[in-house]
Amino acid sequence: MIEVIVTHDGKNWVAKNEFMSVAAQTIEILDTDVRKLVKQKVDCKAGENIRVFMLFDNSTIPQWMRQYAQHYFNRILEVDA
Amino acid sequence: MDSFINRRWYSGMLTQEDWWSVWMGLAFFFLGLLSVTGVDLVGWVAYPSKWGGTAPLAKGLNPLGKAYQGLGPTGSLVVTYIIFTIATCIGAASMKWDVKKFFAGWTIIFTITYIVWLLGHHVFLAANITNRAKYGLSYSLSLGGGGSYILALLVGLIIGNFFKKFAGFLSEAAKPEWFIKTAIVFLGVKVGYMAMKAADFVFELAITGAAATIVAYLIFWPGTYLLARKFFKLPRKTSAVLSSGISICGVSAAVATGGAVRAKPLIPVMVSTLIVVYAVIELVILPPIFTATLIDEPIVAGATMGMAVKTDGADAAAGAVMDELMRNRKENLDGTKWEEGWITTSAIMTKIWIDMFIGLWAFVLALVWVYKIDRRPGERVPTSEVWHRFPKFVLGYFFTWFVYLGILFLAPDLTDSAKVGAVPVEKGMRKLFFMLTFLSMGIITDFKKLAEAKFGKMVFVYFVALFLFIIPVAFIVGYIFHHGMTVPIVTP
Repeated sequence: MIEVIVTHDGKNWVAKNEFMSVAAQTIEILDTDVRKLVKQKVDCKAGENIRVFMLFDNSTIPQWMRQYAQHYFNRILEVDA
Repeated sequence: MDSFINRRWYSGMLTQEDWWSVWMGLAFFFLGLLSVTGVDLVGWVAYPSKWGGTAPLAKGLNPLGKAYQGLGPTGSLVVTYIIFTIATCIGAASMKWDVKKFFAGWTIIFTITYIVWLLGHHVFLAANITNRAKYGLSYSLSLGGGGSYILALLVGLIIGNFFKKFAGFLSEAAKPEWFIKTAIVFLGVKVGYMAMKAADFVFELAITGAAATIVAYLIFWPGTYLLARKFFKLPRKTSAVLSSGISICGVSAAVATGGAVRAKPLIPVMVSTLIVVYAVIELVILPPIFTATLIDEPIVAGATMGMAVKTDGADAAAGAVMDELMRNRKENLDGTKWEEGWITTSAIMTKIWIDMFIGLWAFVLALVWVYKIDRRPGERVPTSEVWHRFPKFVLGYFFTWFVYLGILFLAPDLTDSAKVGAVPVEKGMRKLFFMLTFLSMGIITDFKKLAEAKFGKMVFVYFVALFLFIIPVAFIVGYIFHHGMTVPIVTP
C-alpha cells in the first residue's frame, strides 16, 4: 500500500508523498494524476493492483472546528498497473 | 503535521479534543472513585450556593466535600483553579495549542466563570416560590441554577460580539466542545447512580432515545436535502453537507458528510459557521419556550431538544437550562420537586445516540455517494472511517456510567463511600464545565456572520429547515417515543 497525504489549499486538492506532489481542482483530476504518477514511479508487475491510501491532513480544517470533528476522510484508490 | 492524520485506530489519542475529554473526565472520575478506599481526593471543588437576602455572601461558595470544609471559599477556589489549570494545560500542550495563550485565556475564562456562577446564585435570580421567603424576598425570578448558565452565555455573547479583539485573545482557551464533552463524561457518573433509584427509567430513556434518533435520521435528512435541492436549488454536495448539519448533528455531521461526498473543505467550514450561530440562537429561545409549553412533558422536551439543537455544547447547555427552568416552574406550580439532571440527561442521551450514528451515517453516505451517485472506478471507502468519526467522549460517558452502575448492583455496600467521591465530580465538576461551556460558546459566537454575503441562500435554507421542519418533527418524534415519561421526584 502506498500512502499519500491529501490537503486542500482553498483552490486545489493537493496529494503529496516522497515521490509525488500533485495539485488539481477536482478529486477526479487528482485521481487521474495520482494514478499516472504511481504507474510511472512504482515498480510492479503487469496486471497487479496497487492500493493508494489517501490520508486527509486534518490540519486543513480550521482549529476552531476541529473540536467538533476530528476527521474529514481517508480513501483508497486502486491503481491497475 | 502527522498528529492531524488519522492513520491508525489509535491516531489522535493524544491530540484530539474528543480523546482529551475522555482523559480529563476519567482522570477526575478515578480520583473520585478512590473514595471507596476512604479517601476523598475531589471534595476540594468550589461550588456556589444561594446567597443574598438573609444568606451572607460568605456562605455563597464552599468546597463540596466535608473533608475540605477547612479550605473555606478562597482556599477551595484556589485549589480548584490550580488543579484544573494543570489538567487543561497538559491537554492544551498535548493538542499542540499555544499553551501560553491558552493559560492566559483559561485564567480569564475561569475567573469570569466563577464570578458569573456566584452572581447567578443570588437569591433574586435563583430562589423560587417555595424558598424565597426564607431569604426575606417577596419576589424572585425562579431561575434556579439556570440563571448562572444564562448569565454566562450572555457575558460570553457580549464579549464575542462587542469586544472582538478580546474574544480573539480568549479563543485559544474558549473550547466549548472540549468542556461539554468532559462534562458529559462526568454526567455518566450521575446517570450511573441515578439508575439505582430509577433503573427502569434510565433503560427506557436509553432505548426510546435510540429509537427516536433512528426515526429522526430517516425523516430529517431526506426532507432537508429535498428542501435544499428542489426549493432552494443548492448544488448537490452543498445540499448534502447542509442537510447533515441542520438535520443530524451540526458541525460533526457537516464535516463527516463533507468528507463522505469529497466536498471541498470550504463547504463544511461555511456550514459549520452557520451551525454554531444558529445553535446558540436555539439555546437562547428554546428552553423558555419549552418550559412554558411542555411542563407536563419534560422528557419529551428534553428529547426534542436533543434532536433539535445541533451542537453537543449547545444541546447539553440548553438541556441544563431547561432542567433548571422546568424544575423551578414545576415547584412553583404545584410544589413538586423533580430530581435534578433527568431532563438534561434526556437531551444529552438523544444527542449521544445521534453522535454515535454519525460515523455509521457518513459511512453509508460515502458508500452510496462513491458507489452509486458519483461512481468512479477504483475508489474504495475504508471501514475504518466509522471508527475515526465515532465520538470518543461517548466511551468515557458509558464507562463512568457502567462503573457506578456496577458498584450499585454488584457491591452495594460500597455505595455510600462511592457517593462521597461521585458528588463532587458529577455535581461540582460537571456544573463547572457546563459553566465554562456556556461562557466559551458565547465568546466564539459572532451573530454578524449570518449577515455575511458569502452565505447567501444557506442562511435561509437553515432557518426554514430548522424552525419550520426539524423542530416541529422533532417534537412529534419525541412525543411518540417519550410521551408520559415523568421525572423522578426528590425523596425526602
